[in-house]
Amino acid sequence: MSTLSVISQKGKKIEWIDKAIGSGTMKDVYFSPDKSYVVGFYRNKLDASSKDRLNSIVGVYKTKIIDGPNGDYWRNLLCWPYDIVEHNGLTGIVVPTYQRHFFFMHGSVNDDMLGIKGQEKNGKWFASAKNQNRFLHEKEKGDLLSYLRISILLSRALKRIHAAGLAHSDLSYNNVLIDPEGKNASIIDIDGLVVPGKFAPDVMGTPDFVAPEVIMTKHLPVNDSNRKLPTILTDRYALSVLIYMYLLFRHPLKGRKIHDTDPVKDEELSMGAKALFIEHPTDRSNKPNLNDVHPSELPYIDVDKMPYTILGPYLKELFDRAFIEGLHNPQKRPTSNEWEEALVKTVDLLQPCQNSKCSHKWFVFDNKLSPRCPYCGTPYTDALPVLNFYSSRGKGKFLSDNARLMVYNNQYLYRWHTNRLVHPNERLSDEDKKPAGYFVKHRGNWILVNQNLPELYDVTNKVDIPIGKHVVLDDNIQVLLEKGNGGRLAHVQMVNKR
Amino acid sequence: MRRLPVYLVLDVSGSMTGEPIEAVKNGIKTMIAALRQDPYALETAHISVITFNHNAQQVAPLIELAMFQEPQITASGTTSVGAALSLLSDKIESEVKKTTVEQKGDWKPLVFFMTDGLPTDDWKAGLNKFKKQKCGMVVACAAGQHADTTILKEITKNVVSLDTADSASIQAFFKWVSSSVSVSSAKIENETAETSSISELPPPPDEVNIVI
Repeated sequence: MSTLSVISQKGKKIEWIDKAIGSGTMKDVYFSPDKSYVVGFYRNKLDASSKDRLNSIVGVYKTKIIDGPNGDYWRNLLCWPYDIVEHNGLTGIVVPTYQRHFFFMHGSVNDDMLGIKGQEKNGKWFASAKNQNRFLHEKEKGDLLSYLRISILLSRALKRIHAAGLAHSDLSYNNVLIDPEGKNASIIDIDGLVVPGKFAPDVMGTPDFVAPEVIMTKHLPVNDSNRKLPTILTDRYALSVLIYMYLLFRHPLKGRKIHDTDPVKDEELSMGAKALFIEHPTDRSNKPNLNDVHPSELPYIDVDKMPYTILGPYLKELFDRAFIEGLHNPQKRPTSNEWEEALVKTVDLLQPCQNSKCSHKWFVFDNKLSPRCPYCGTPYTDALPVLNFYSSRGKGKFLSDNARLMVYNNQYLYRWHTNRLVHPNERLSDEDKKPAGYFVKHRGNWILVNQNLPELYDVTNKVDIPIGKHVVLDDNIQVLLEKGNGGRLAHVQMVNKR
Repeated sequence: MRRLPVYLVLDVSGSMTGEPIEAVKNGIKTMIAALRQDPYALETAHISVITFNHNAQQVAPLIELAMFQEPQITASGTTSVGAALSLLSDKIESEVKKTTVEQKGDWKPLVFFMTDGLPTDDWKAGLNKFKKQKCGMVVACAAGQHADTTILKEITKNVVSLDTADSASIQAFFKWVSSSVSVSSAKIENETAETSSISELPPPPDEVNIVI
């Protein structure tokens, strides 16, 4: 195998081994000799507009996003092309090699019977009940917290793309790598980015992720004003599908309803004109038929056993907007920012399952439901404090933040809990990454130990709680976590009391 | 979840003896291994192998990828293309679940048909039977110089040829078949076609020529 090399557009020597390691819809991909980057050559000659698009991606947009503020953070979430080469009349892009944690360490069950150890962790592996149930090695699967965290990262990465005025245009489980074990995620295949009004999309998207309006108008000529092509609004649909699949291991529109006896037409209608949420609260006609599913799809395909409401109120609201109100009304779909916020808030509702063998290890504890892990059925028997957050908006006025924290043993309290204006995202300072306090059950009482909250004050008993001391979390007490702007007051509610 | 049935219909006549038949066996092995590493194929693809010589036999009934066992294959006899097409349509009829008003069925089957010679039976009768089946992509492959691509063109418009029925070419064909089973992004321009055309598949390797 020979090594080829050229001088890139940015004046760097780019080398690759002349044997393709993979082929996509548009490109053949080659490794550099040191495997630190890959070169993806487009099979067809690019027109001026496509070249212009690539120039913008490796140029102005890379400068703005990857070389801009928090660039190191974005570099991990977005596998961004950084240079362009020309060879034998064909154009290639230079992209960093995927990080090590995006390759299977353990692979599949039975001593890796599928032989996938060392292969890329394509996002499809994990979005499937069958692959989860039958094939993936236990150590590759992660838990509910993994998939929430991955969904947060993907929402945030897409938010950054959208903030730059770009659309991804082909977001799907094929174009993300996820690492449930290490809780990492990255968006790949970024060279298809769409600049609205400037660079049109090349692809409609990947089946399962193409928005209904794009499918419904695909028979129209590309230049017809009614033809719908990928945009930021269709990205929002794809993101919602991706999150639903990672959290529930099923597709939100694939149910029992039949629209045509030709499977291709049936699929087209059920993903397009006749798309209907399988968990629609009033129209149950597309609810999956349990007599017609493969056993390996259970229990996830059973929407009575695993309704989307097990993910808590914040995500329910967004799924409703994505798959009910916004399914055929793109403007109503949740933004990537709304997804990120709702997912972050949902993490604060988690409780560790008391069954150490539970597949999901965590569940969303909604105090409206009887406390029982929805995945393994293990009941939660202990009393448990919930901190309902309020924050100051001007002098002495505290308003509900519609946010709460379910307490568990050895859980940490962070600055993004104690102040409404602090968010656990790319802008979080190193100082704010340190725990502000922790919760522990001590001699039958739940206590909050103050590690880093100089203003902590027990409002109910009117005492300061200095750093190093603790406050007992009795039912109905109020604790001021922080004074100042955005500072929060926690109202303690003891749930599951006997 | 719809299943994706994939039928491999393979010529095991006497002329395939030696390198070609070994290459076919290796090709199946490589193809199955590659598909098992593809999460989409693993979830949906079901594979069957039908071989033909003096008659046709289903050496591997339609079964999900993870459960597939490599069939015993030996080369001898004549080239009963008609019998193969007839058995293929019987198996599609009995094994592929049809969509009805009550039940979601399977995807339309993919068929990969490979021969290295000329039919020795009444192939038109088998062809007429096969034409009644609703298939997705049907690809016929002429392996080497002795196969007649004009006959294959009657089976499907998607015909490819291998210059020689040697190990490298046959392996390349099977590798291409496995990449054809995966999903990829749908391009914008090719959405008007009514029937499946070869341009929807990944581009074939150098050893596999598209016959126009």
